[in-house]
Amino acid sequence: MGNLRRLVLDVLKPLEPSIVELVQVLAAVQGVDGVNISIYEIDRRVENAKITVEGHDLEYEIIADVIEENGGAIHSIDEVAAGKVLIDDVETAQD
Amino acid sequence: MDNSNSPRDRLVGHINSVREYERITGFGKIARRALANNSFDGVLTMIGVLMGNLLSEVTDATKVITIGIATSLSIGVSGLWGAYLAESAERGRELAELERASLTDLGGTKIGRASRTAVVVVSLVDGLSPFLSSIIVLAPLAATPLLGSIQVAYVLSFVVALIALFGLGMFLGRVSGRSLLAYGVRTTVAGIVAMALSLLIPN
Repeated sequence: MGNLRRLVLDVLKPLEPSIVELVQVLAAVQGVDGVNISIYEIDRRVENAKITVEGHDLEYEIIADVIEENGGAIHSIDEVAAGKVLIDDVETAQD
Repeated sequence: MDNSNSPRDRLVGHINSVREYERITGFGKIARRALANNSFDGVLTMIGVLMGNLLSEVTDATKVITIGIATSLSIGVSGLWGAYLAESAERGRELAELERASLTDLGGTKIGRASRTAVVVVSLVDGLSPFLSSIIVLAPLAATPLLGSIQVAYVLSFVVALIALFGLGMFLGRVSGRSLLAYGVRTTVAGIVAMALSLLIPN
């Protein structure tokens, strides 16, 4: 497998455990260099979070397990990057 | 991730898990309320049992202790059972609502475990606090042979009960961040009122 380096996930999660706890649990996963969680919608019991994980040789299954263990449901994988070089989305004329 | 397996590390791991479950469910606040409320019940119930025995002129300490322990067990079982049923119903409903909102089965997750831990902790506190508090009040009666007279043991038990009530009041005062003394006096007065009302029972 080819060195998964970035994952951007759309996750629906309960308000507790908070994103402060979740971000630290995810940061402790092997291979993870950094995590960012941002909330873009909040409800009475749940919130929608964009979780960005970067690192080296990330294992998607382990990261998904940690999110699910904390009550989160992954709705979609919005962006992935792998390989020797981290490549950002390139803006094209169609964008 | 923590992969250490020594008994100490496992214990620390368990303690951290319980702390995390407390943060998720907030059971600490409920357990604290149950501790104060049910210990208060335990002490006042035992004041009633002792006043009943004293006014009925029961002079056999063994009989008073047997009645006291039976009463303590009953209020302990009542606290445990009642809290378990009420708490598991309430937590089950909350988890089901959360599962509906997140369209996920949360039973096997940290949230499900936190919910089950909350039920166990609150039930244990609800059951053990009235049992232990009433046993403390009853303790001087077990020392009747050493004290020489059951009348002294009765008086000592009432003193212990009032001290326990004052202590509970101070605990509540500390929780509320207000005067420890004011709360202590309020709970102690409840014990004195219970004793006074028992004295009104026609013999």
